[in-house]
Amino acid sequence: MSPDENKDSSSSPPSRRTFLLASGAAVVAAGAAIVSRFTNAPALLGLDRKSGPRISGGWVNESAALGHRLRDGASMPTPRRIVRVPAVAVGGGIAGLSAAWQLERHGFRDYVLLEMERDAGGNARGGENAVSRYPWAAHYVPVPGPRATLVRELFRELGVLTDTGWDERTLCFAPQERLFVHGEWQSGLDAELLGSHTGRDELHRFDDLIAEQRRSGEFTIPMALGARAGSALDRMSFAHWLDAAGLRSPAMRWYAEYGTRDDYGASTRDTSAWAGVHYHAAREPTEQGPLTWPEGNTWIARRLAARVGTRLITGTPVHRILSNGRKGWRVRAGDAEYLCDDVIFAAPTFLTPYIVEGMRAPGFVYSPWLVANLTLDRWPEERGVPPAWDNVLRSGVGLGYVVATHQALRAREDGPTVWTYYCALTTRDPATERRVLQTSTWSDWVERIMMELAVAHPNIRRCVTHVDIVRLGHAMVRPTVAFLGADARRDPQWAPRGIHLAHSDLSGLSLFEEAQYRGVVAADAVLASQHRR
Amino acid sequence: MAVPLFLSVLLIAACGLIYELVASALASYLLGDSVTQFSTVIGTYLFAMGVGSWLSRFLSRGLVARFVSIELMVGLVGGFSSTILFLAFAYTGAFRLVLYVLVVILGVFVGLEIPLLMRILKDRYAFKDVVSNVLTFDYLGALAASLAFPILLVPRLGLVRSALLFGLVNAGVALWSVWLFRAHLGARRVLAGASVAVLLLLSAGMAGATKITNLAEDNIYSDEVIFSRTTRYQRIVLTAWKDDLRLWLNAHLQFSSRDEYRYHEALVHPGLSARPSARRVLVLGGGDGLAVRELLKHPGVETITLVDLDPEMTRIFSTHPTLVALNHGSLSSPKVHVVNDDAFVWLDKHPDMFDFVVVDFPDPNNYGVGKLYTTVFYRLLARHLSRDGLVVVQATSPLFARKSFWCIAETMHQAGLTTYPYHLYVPSFGEWGFVLASLDGGYTPPTTLPAQLRYLTVAEVPRMFEFSADMQPVAVEANRLNTQVLVRYYEQEWDRVNR
Repeated sequence: MSPDENKDSSSSPPSRRTFLLASGAAVVAAGAAIVSRFTNAPALLGLDRKSGPRISGGWVNESAALGHRLRDGASMPTPRRIVRVPAVAVGGGIAGLSAAWQLERHGFRDYVLLEMERDAGGNARGGENAVSRYPWAAHYVPVPGPRATLVRELFRELGVLTDTGWDERTLCFAPQERLFVHGEWQSGLDAELLGSHTGRDELHRFDDLIAEQRRSGEFTIPMALGARAGSALDRMSFAHWLDAAGLRSPAMRWYAEYGTRDDYGASTRDTSAWAGVHYHAAREPTEQGPLTWPEGNTWIARRLAARVGTRLITGTPVHRILSNGRKGWRVRAGDAEYLCDDVIFAAPTFLTPYIVEGMRAPGFVYSPWLVANLTLDRWPEERGVPPAWDNVLRSGVGLGYVVATHQALRAREDGPTVWTYYCALTTRDPATERRVLQTSTWSDWVERIMMELAVAHPNIRRCVTHVDIVRLGHAMVRPTVAFLGADARRDPQWAPRGIHLAHSDLSGLSLFEEAQYRGVVAADAVLASQHRR
Repeated sequence: MAVPLFLSVLLIAACGLIYELVASALASYLLGDSVTQFSTVIGTYLFAMGVGSWLSRFLSRGLVARFVSIELMVGLVGGFSSTILFLAFAYTGAFRLVLYVLVVILGVFVGLEIPLLMRILKDRYAFKDVVSNVLTFDYLGALAASLAFPILLVPRLGLVRSALLFGLVNAGVALWSVWLFRAHLGARRVLAGASVAVLLLLSAGMAGATKITNLAEDNIYSDEVIFSRTTRYQRIVLTAWKDDLRLWLNAHLQFSSRDEYRYHEALVHPGLSARPSARRVLVLGGGDGLAVRELLKHPGVETITLVDLDPEMTRIFSTHPTLVALNHGSLSSPKVHVVNDDAFVWLDKHPDMFDFVVVDFPDPNNYGVGKLYTTVFYRLLARHLSRDGLVVVQATSPLFARKSFWCIAETMHQAGLTTYPYHLYVPSFGEWGFVLASLDGGYTPPTTLPAQLRYLTVAEVPRMFEFSADMQPVAVEANRLNTQVLVRYYEQEWDRVNR
């Protein structure tokens, strides 16, 4: 052997030393490129591209600018025409649509329903793309209990409830819920609690306490049938109530926290014990699961809007409601002024001081939310039980995602889908959260959502093709401590004569049933008032 | 030093040939068509060896260290080659690509071995002796390997362990070379350490080999695979052993050609023979065309609409000669109209009516397929049934999955159908059940059957409706979209059987 050849290889020139490695790497890289183009193999081979393909999308349904102009008293168009109509409903969300539904049911058609957005529905709006319809916020209605008679009447009318029972295509398909905890998906949101002795014990005690509260009759849907302003539970926070009950394990507190974040967009500290208990006690523990549609409650909103017909006027923001003395009210919207006797105010109640002459702010607190619809070209990788309708990550800042294609009839489950990701912004006070939300960028949020979901779905970035996001500064009212005793709720004279408040925020619970109830009650008041004339 | 050196030539030659054989054998085992697989794998391998030999000219210094490194690479890649290939087959759709990339890498490294070794030896011995000895031991090693592979290795160790064993041999040669040339090697500690690491890695592979093969479904297909394809929807595998052809979808047996006539005759004729006036027939699932073959034995049937999700499935069963022979070319009959769509979705959007419907879906082992066994599905199906029509549903085993079977019957009952459950024995499946159903109640077993059936007789049909004590109805819930109890029943029951 020549001395030359015996030298350690580290002394040879880099170009030659690396030649073999380089050619091997070239073969692998070329292979990888071909593989990742045509198959699903890269995941196994570890040939994933570090960054996924570009995700398209942006902010949608932005309407904060208009609201801020109202708030800041910006000049609005002067009316060019006058319309005389006995009643005007302001706000085409579920409350306004339900008011109209009630008026129509009584054959009363001398009204208009004014909605500022292009589509009616409010929180029950939705969208559609090539893959699926999807909701923009409210996405289900629990199977109504015996006292929710109006909901039952509506569902009978819509064919969801028949003599043989609930339409099985509308009842949420199994499996309904799963929780990503301890590194895998497990069935049911109580999976973590059921996994430990302490957890099971605390859940038992919690269920017992809730059952006891349920028997009190105080917790009903609609809430107006049972709620009492003097309730002791209204005077403490839900967190305090849990402390007092000795329910302190992290799993239990997460479970309770999830409930208030999900229904009220607030932490247990910012929610009254009455509302925290209401979430669990107002409904019977039922096996049936909620009623849901791929597009969420838009399904209902569309049908209600169809009944209103041409009396629904969209894209028309009401910017001022002025008193017309004994003759009623002047409602200014767009270039028209509506002269009417009665106004159903079904827009959020916090808007009254900016719009209605002589009205004060109700002093309600509203939770800011963010909702994103993610389009996926295939189901991402995961571990554990199969996909459910509602998929919650224990580690998530958000509330998890709901699968729009879950109610599809198709047997194949791994195809393209749309996920609706919900995030209630509960960390800081709502005003701060709203400010941060207004200044944050779409791409920041996409990044945050991807990071959050990647915990359960490692290759999520390569599956998501499009993300649309809405930011809802005042998504829902917050049932804070002492909410039941608030003036705006308690005092029937709080609103001036002829103004009939109808928004669900009066209930403190942003629920379909409450919106419908308030709308119908306001419509009844209008019918009575019109009858007297 | 001479003997050990030439002995290592023998060993590395044997290793090189073993990897080649492992790759060829695995390819023919998994993909079928052994002539093609052996020819292409060996050709590619030899070509890559040529590339390796050519590349050897670029290596000029530190030859021993390079030789040791190459041995370690060959040991590692070759040792794990069958593991990688099995996993690639089980989990990716890119088996062929992985195969040839692996063969090329291995070939290049193996091609480098002999030229390097000859150069290392050329200064110690006369060139004519080096060439003569190296090549002699090279060919001897090849002979040893080619004899050991079919006689000892495959039957005793299997493909995964054989490759790992020879990986260990390569790594052993590397370690041995480090020792032999210890006086001339600079980085001997590093190289010895690397050799030990590779040896440990391969030994770990040996220890876990059973797990790997299980993972790769090696045990599932005990017979030779003659066809396999991963489609958008499923993995289709055909295996053959002598005259027994078997179809597997996602590793679940669909039929064995030895007894499928029992299953398909029982699926079709008890119902259809009782409705001689039936003209329009619908088949949901059943892309193998075997139920259609039976349907075509009824001359009164005018049109058959077959709805199967997977276009690849119906294509294979319309074109593959062995399969066309099995289903008598039924899918190409002018009476047959093939639709590739989701059955539920298709039923929901088409108004067509049928006199007889065959529902032959895979067993309800997930929530997706479970939807096709729900009240909503059967109610929708009933709306497509003519007044006098009949529907028959494959309903898993009333013996092994008693609750599942009766759950399907109960679900159809709750959907407003009058049900007539029956069963038979299929050797490759065991006891198997079907549920026949009508709209208005009215079924009597047929008094005539098509000629030349191999299993059914007129006397046998009524007997199929009798259930022994261990298959009698049990109390079960109906399967609904919002509960999917059937998937849970099915999981519990088959888990118990397969334990």
